[in-house]
This record gives sequence, structure tokens and C-alpha cells, in this order.
Amino acid sequence: MIESLQGLINGFGIATTIQNLFYCLMGAIVGTLVGVLPGLGPIAGIALLIPATFGLNPTSAIIMLAGIYYGAMYGGSTTSILLNVPGETASVITCIDGYQMAQKGRAGPALAICAIGSFIAGTIGIFGLVFLAPPLAEAALAFGPPEYFSLMVFGFIVLSNVTGTSLIKSLMMAVVGLIIGTIGIDPVTGDARFSFDFPYLMGGIEFVAVAIGLFGIGEVLVNVERPLEMLEQRVLVPRLRELYPTLQDLKRSIRPILRGAGIGFGVGLIPGPAPVIATYASYMMEKKISKTPEEFGKGAIEGVAGPESANNSACQAAFIPLFVLGIPFAPPTAILLGALLIHGVTPGPMMIGEHPELFWGVIASMYIGNFILLLLNLPFVPFFANILRIPKNILLPLVILFCLTGMYTVNNSVFDIWMMLLFGALGFIMRKWAYEGAPLLLALVLGPKLEAAFRQSLMISHGDFSTFVDRPVSLVFLLGTLIFLAAPLLKPAWRRVQGLRRKAQSA
Amino acid sequence: MKRDEIIGGVILLIFGVITALLSLQMPIGTFRAAGTGLFPLILAIFLMILSGVFLLNLFLRKKKELGKKEPEMKIHGSARNVILFLGTMALATLFLNPLGYPLVSFLLMVALLRILGMRRWAINILLSLATAAAAYFLFVGWLKIPLPKGWIGI
Repeated sequence: MIESLQGLINGFGIATTIQNLFYCLMGAIVGTLVGVLPGLGPIAGIALLIPATFGLNPTSAIIMLAGIYYGAMYGGSTTSILLNVPGETASVITCIDGYQMAQKGRAGPALAICAIGSFIAGTIGIFGLVFLAPPLAEAALAFGPPEYFSLMVFGFIVLSNVTGTSLIKSLMMAVVGLIIGTIGIDPVTGDARFSFDFPYLMGGIEFVAVAIGLFGIGEVLVNVERPLEMLEQRVLVPRLRELYPTLQDLKRSIRPILRGAGIGFGVGLIPGPAPVIATYASYMMEKKISKTPEEFGKGAIEGVAGPESANNSACQAAFIPLFVLGIPFAPPTAILLGALLIHGVTPGPMMIGEHPELFWGVIASMYIGNFILLLLNLPFVPFFANILRIPKNILLPLVILFCLTGMYTVNNSVFDIWMMLLFGALGFIMRKWAYEGAPLLLALVLGPKLEAAFRQSLMISHGDFSTFVDRPVSLVFLLGTLIFLAAPLLKPAWRRVQGLRRKAQSA
Repeated sequence: MKRDEIIGGVILLIFGVITALLSLQMPIGTFRAAGTGLFPLILAIFLMILSGVFLLNLFLRKKKELGKKEPEMKIHGSARNVILFLGTMALATLFLNPLGYPLVSFLLMVALLRILGMRRWAINILLSLATAAAAYFLFVGWLKIPLPKGWIGI
């Protein structure tokens, strides 16, 4: 406890250097932009800016990239409220009541409550991170390869279960991602796999190319396909003095904000696209315990305050598995793992001890970043909303140019651009056919770790598979995996039981 | 929609089969001392099983839902624009090294803006010039990233 506080204080010393403050501000601005712009989410945003961090020390680099992730949560709500267009998936729920509030001329208070709620929840999330991460890291020291293997399998299954509409499609995408991850040199034997004597493939597929392709180019192509009439939209921008919420608004929002922060943090710890699930969970809860549930969907401020707070604290909590276990549970943190590895830092239980300046510096920067975002978002909402006035037929080519340039700068390689285009086309088709990109990307990043854990486990156990169930922690993860696999099968049966019960009640 | 689902499943099944065949050409080893090909082989088998179940499910459902109409979710748009976009990006990639970044970024913008319906050439060229110049100063001037100079030499 005391050590954590000491660490945090040191972290603030690191985060408040001029250089780190600058990169924190940059991350917050880029994150808000990425969140505001539909079609460019935090995943492509972080991936695109990795090359810009090459000259930096790892701490400054991660401070900026992390800022993009939580900054996008702030920005995403702006478009949801003003346009009914979620800037990223974690703001879908905010559209329901946020846009209704805007329709009634209350866009200002809705935006303000989002920013305030995000700030409070982000702060709570960071404190959770400070006090939970060190003990968890200590516990994770006891993890061996079997535990890591089972945990990763659990992560894939949960992520596949909660993303998209079809579990089997998401699972197939995860396996495809794992297969793509095996391209290149086998880390154990040093032999080349699936490289067809092609030097570019020896080093494996560049994950940045996959991320920008699937989540940047693919998204742009989906937008390009839509008829142009749909590309233009009018934006109602509130004036600054209209932003301030009334005391009544604040009173109604404070409990949803606190509850949202709690839910978000809990959800953030488990695998899956935490911010997205957290918003749904928070919305459902607020609606359920509200005395006036009929107001939901017609502009209830609770329906904005809760989910927007939840997605922020989920965002902070998602850093725990990344920093403590070295295992990201969702694509944005997977991209951050890639960035950490590029900078020569291997996250895991040893990281707090090995790179305290990075761990505590980044956490402290998140606190500062949240404050910057609060300042940035309240007065500058009109500015960010105005960005949406740029017609999409100008915006989309700009995004493409940025993707091409950003991709080239990663390795100064034209081959990487080809890869990005290939995955862009694939991303477009996947979207059309309702396949999820998230499991593929996560699997690609975690693939080598999964294989290493699998092979090491079996090497230690002399080829005996019971090692995965003999160890209690590993067994728990595998049982969890089974439950999540069985859940979709049990759902129809459960519904039938519910239906029968309802019938019995009405009879 | 159904047809797309079947095509998707078949593609994934074929991908699984090819991966399995390629993995079998590598040393497999034993579980105790895994060879290079073991892990990809296991993955390929998983993919074949999953896509097999997926396809089987489709055929079973087909019988059950005969006559039922599936809701049409697709927004009919311009597949032409998507192909033109991809083609333009491919051309830009191809000519990046010979023509250089400044010229390619300008031409790319002109083409993409045109595809998206920017009819007035003057505005198009002005916008593209401004964008290419801004990108050049941002990436080359400020961030000092070495981008291909090409034959114009800047």
C-alpha cells in the first residue's frame, strides 16, 4: 500500500516533465480526434502513431499511446450525442439517450455530463489500478506456462463470445489470427514457417499492417461503398454557455457515474472488449433500478452518465491484465503490447520491478490525461464537433493518405503497405459478411505467446496434457472457458424455460 | 446472404486444409518435443472442425428455415467505388518508390477525391496540393521521416 503510494508519487514526478506532459497532451488530442471521427477508432489510431514514437523513450511513447485509447472514449461520445453516430463502439449506447437529449436542445448538458462522468470514473479506475496491480503482479509470479496457456485460451473464448453475433465465426477468426501469427521464424527451432523463401515473410506479418488494414482501411472502404448522399450530415453545435449542466442534472448523474465506474472497472479486468460491455451493463443497470425507467430512450441523463463513466474506468482497468500479466484481453491493449515490445519492454509480473518509471509514470500520466481531457472536452466541444462538418468525401481520402504514410514509416517498407491493403480488403469483406476483426488481431498478437506457453507446458510435463488440469489456477481458467463455450448452447434452453414460466404465470 | 455465408465457410475450410497440408511438410515431433509444424497443424485441425460445423449448421438451418425470409441488412452502395479506391491505393503503392512521396500523395488525393464525386477540378487540385504539401511538411519536414524521394528528388 505504502509502496504503491510512493510509486505513484514518483510516477507523478516522471509524468510531469515537460516532455511527458507534451506527449500526454498529444495523446489526449489525437485520442479525442480519433474518437470523434467515425471510421477511425482507437485501434487504428494507436497503430498509426506507433512510428511517431520511435525516437522516444518507452515511457513517453506509452504515455502518448495510452492517451489515445482513453482519449477516444471521451471523443466517441461527442458524435453519439450530436449526430447519433457513435465515433467508436463504446459510445453506441450513448446514442440512445444522448441523441434524444440533443434533440430536446440539451446537447450541452449531455456533453458536459459525459466529460465529468468520464473524469470521475477515470480517476476511480486509476486508483483501482494503483492498488490492485501490485498485489496481482505478485500473485501472477506463481503463474507457469500452463496457467498462461489456459488464461489465454480463456481470453480468446470470452472475447469471441462477446464480440459479434456468432461465436463460431469469431472463434474461426481467432484461429485464423493464430495461424497468421505462426508465419515467420519458429522461436524454438529457428526454422522458417509459411514464408515460402520470401524474405519479407521471414520476420512474420507486421501486426501494425493488420491493425490498420482491418480497422482503418476496411472501415474507410465500408464508408466508401455507401451512397454519397449519406455522407453529408448537419451538425448542431451547442454554444459554450449552453454546456453547463443544472444542479438537478448533476444530482441525477452522480450515482450513475459512481455505479458506472464500479461496473466498468470490474468488466475491464475480464477478457473482452471491456469498454463496450461495460456501457451495456451500466445502461441495463440504470434502467433497471431507475424509478422512472420509462424516461430511458427519451433523453434520460442517467443513460448517458452511467455508460460514459463505465467505458472510461473499463479502459483504465484493461491496463491491469496488460501490465501485470503481459496479456492484453482486447485489441487496443494488444496494440499497446506490440508497442511495448517494439520499445524493448516485456510487460508481465516483473514489469513493476523492472520498469517502475514506465509503470508508475504511465499511470500518473493517465490521471493527468484525464484532467487534460476534461479541460479539452468541455470548452472545445464546439471545435471537435465542427470537425464533423468536413464532408466525408474529403475526410476519407485524408484518412487513406494518413494510413499509407503511417504504414510506410513503421519499417520504411513498401511491402508492409501491400500487406495493409490486403488486410484492408479482407477487413471490408469481413465486415460485409459479419466476421469480427477483434479476435483475429488479438490472436495474431498473442499467438507466439500462446504457442510458447503450450510447448513449454508440454515440455515440462513430458507431453502429459493433464498438466493443464492438475494445476488449480489453470483448471479454473479452463472451467471458465467451458462455461463460456456452453453458454450459447444453453441460451435457447434457458429462454424456453423462461417462456414456460411466463406462460404458467399468465395462465 | 446465405450464399455469402456458405462461401465464407468454404474459404475458411480451404484455408484450414492448405495450412494442414503445409504444416505436415514440416517436422511435427511429439507433444513432449514439439516440432515446427505441430502448433500450426493443431490450429489447422481446429479451423477445419470449426468451419465444418459452421457449414453443417448452415445446411441444417436451411432445411428448418425454408420459406422464412431473412432480413436484408445490406446497404446497397457502390462496389465500384470500393474497387476504384483499392485500385488507386495499389497504384500509389506501386509507384511510391519510382515517383516519390510528394508526387504520389498529390496524385492519390486527386484520384480519391474524384472517385468520391469531387467534380470541380480546380477545387480538387487545390485541395490535393494543400494536403500533399501539409503531409510533406508534417512527415518529412517536422517528423524527419525518410520517405521515398523519387525522380522529383525532394
